[in-house]
Amino acid sequence: MMPPRITMAALLLAACGTAAPPPTPVKEAAVAPKAAPAAPAKGAAAAPAKAPLPAAVKAAAAKPAATAPLDLKSLEQRLKETSAIGVLTKLSLKNQVDDLVQGFRAFHEKKQPTLGELRSSFDLLMMKVLSLLQDHDQALAKDISASRDAIWGVLTDRQKLSTYQ
Amino acid sequence: MKRMLMFAALLSGAALAADDPKQRQDLAAVIALQGKPCSEVMSYVVQADNDFLATCKDGNRYRVYVKDGRVVVEKK
Repeated sequence: MMPPRITMAALLLAACGTAAPPPTPVKEAAVAPKAAPAAPAKGAAAAPAKAPLPAAVKAAAAKPAATAPLDLKSLEQRLKETSAIGVLTKLSLKNQVDDLVQGFRAFHEKKQPTLGELRSSFDLLMMKVLSLLQDHDQALAKDISASRDAIWGVLTDRQKLSTYQ
Repeated sequence: MKRMLMFAALLSGAALAADDPKQRQDLAAVIALQGKPCSEVMSYVVQADNDFLATCKDGNRYRVYVKDGRVVVEKK
């Protein structure tokens, strides 16, 4: 019972470095500012003090994601091994990820929770994960932050979501 | 003799006060994740395997345990 659930949890966080589907256009504006401060700006000409350049930053972030293969195993391992989060906290997060994924499944089947409601839950959960990781595992936090759109893309795509049981 | 008594206490499942800072942080994070107030876990007692009674700085006490693969936080 545990391994598939952990894999599902891994999936959500997985999009770090996985095939990144094009993000849903409607939600881009809401997401871009949060993901912007992360490091992918390295490749692009950085403008630290100015307003972020969402297009350039996104392109830089999406580039490696588009080519990297999906490697759930290594991500699962990475999540298991991070010392930034305690065991109980990991389990609690996994519970919440599972609940969110259930919500998306229900959405795809009967449109019951609206996409707006799911977006709020998704954002809140992301915030929780990032706040737990940012002090002690910045690399993982950065990857997750940079792959927000990709994760959202997997969740909102019925086909892609069904791949991960 | 003392050792035997301690061992007996362990076997009888008596609650154990413990003070591992990592565990305290873990408990605090779990409580916060469930949206319950707890500024900081000051102490906790191990009641059983994956079953803790945490006392927060603000006086709140919570039982944190795992049931059917889910982490449950109950206010005491």
